[in-house]
Amino acid sequence: MLPFDNDIRTLRFLAGEVTQAELGDAAGVTRQTIAAIEQGKYSPSLEVAMRIARHFGKRVDDVFVWREI
Amino acid sequence: MSFREKIHWVAFVALFLAFGWYFATYPWAIIDTPAGVGAGAAKLVPVAIIILGAMALVSVISVVRNPKETHVQEDEREKSIHHRGTHIAYYLLILGVWANLFAIFYHVSAAGRLNLLIATAVIAELVRVGVQLYYYRRGV
Repeated sequence: MLPFDNDIRTLRFLAGEVTQAELGDAAGVTRQTIAAIEQGKYSPSLEVAMRIARHFGKRVDDVFVWREI
Repeated sequence: MSFREKIHWVAFVALFLAFGWYFATYPWAIIDTPAGVGAGAAKLVPVAIIILGAMALVSVISVVRNPKETHVQEDEREKSIHHRGTHIAYYLLILGVWANLFAIFYHVSAAGRLNLLIATAVIAELVRVGVQLYYYRRGV
């Protein structure tokens, strides 16, 4: 389990139901990789995390939230 | 499921079945004779046809059904998955190379060494693809 959560699903909804494929195109990854990030199955590189955050006009730590274990 | 994951499943099943048939039907009684090499070579032809045919068939079906998906570039997650599989399979390849060296030192027949080489390659490939499928499913 990754030590952080993410709000990508919520942000996609708030941005007008952006699809995983559209977000993947914006971040330079596949739809399956966006799904894996959303489900906490993949820890993206800093570059992809920043691309996702920038797509929603947010900072990286607005999208990915560290979880104290 | 992505196109690459589908192709991995096809490769895994095709490798398992084709080389399972190869080793199950190889005439082991003639392994120490010169004919053993010819028998192995002859069996590799249908094995290659089965594997390449299965992968080509699934590729063509995927291109027809979803052409965009088949042209998607490998991204960082898929590269990471592929590196993990290749990394683990490397150790098995090295073990197989050492086994073949010892087979030469101990004068194992040419067909025996051929089959040892084939087994090395097949096991390493099954592990490589299997590990990659595991990480596709479980996540990295």
